[in-house]
Amino acid sequence: MKKLAAGLLLLVPIAGAACSKKEAPPPPPPITEPATTLPAPASVTGVTLGKAIGADKRVTEPADAFGAKDTIYASVDTAGTGHAKLRAVWTFVRGEKTAKVDETTLELDATGPATNEFHIAKPSGWPKGDYRLDVFLNDGPTPVMTKAFKVG
Amino acid sequence: MTSPEDDDDDMPDFSDVKSGASSTAPGAQAYETYEVQKGDSLSKIAKTKLGNGNLWQKIFDANTDILKDPNKIYPGQKLKIPRS
Repeated sequence: MKKLAAGLLLLVPIAGAACSKKEAPPPPPPITEPATTLPAPASVTGVTLGKAIGADKRVTEPADAFGAKDTIYASVDTAGTGHAKLRAVWTFVRGEKTAKVDETTLELDATGPATNEFHIAKPSGWPKGDYRLDVFLNDGPTPVMTKAFKVG
Repeated sequence: MTSPEDDDDDMPDFSDVKSGASSTAPGAQAYETYEVQKGDSLSKIAKTKLGNGNLWQKIFDANTDILKDPNKIYPGQKLKIPRS
């Protein structure tokens, strides 16, 4: 009987220890990397046609119809960063037929929003009719923006 | 057989069009892409595209990635013609 009592006495602290054992702490939250936002690549956000631009390259006199002697400006806004290649293709449209008027490429290393301008002039005067401007980005096969305008 | 509609001769001539481009982004470079034709030289291209054959050096400088000798250009090469 003494042995049994001694055995119980020995077990009590162990059982007590087991009972008083703190619950396992909840697992730490998963380690999350600091939020890093990859810089967005350059994209075209808008194209405006007009007869004049300011020092900021923005069109100051918007238009979609021009006179024969006008210089025609296109202000192309871009967002994002990194190297970008903008290609402006100006086309004369007569029914199903088209004739290329001009094609100019502008390469830039954008550090943020930028405004870019393309312009065309024809000293002998623009033929009357319908025209189109297609803006391509980074050698893409299809234009990212298209604007139609008239001369006449 | 071609119909009159297929004939491009009735389309206007845009060979005298002047163009350019610029940007608020620093270091932007504007150019036209020109494919070298048989019989071309840099001075001939400069005369046609820049209005002055003596400006051939501008074309050469813009294409040093593909041109090593200004006297050696080949049909099919695509050159950058600088624009202002």
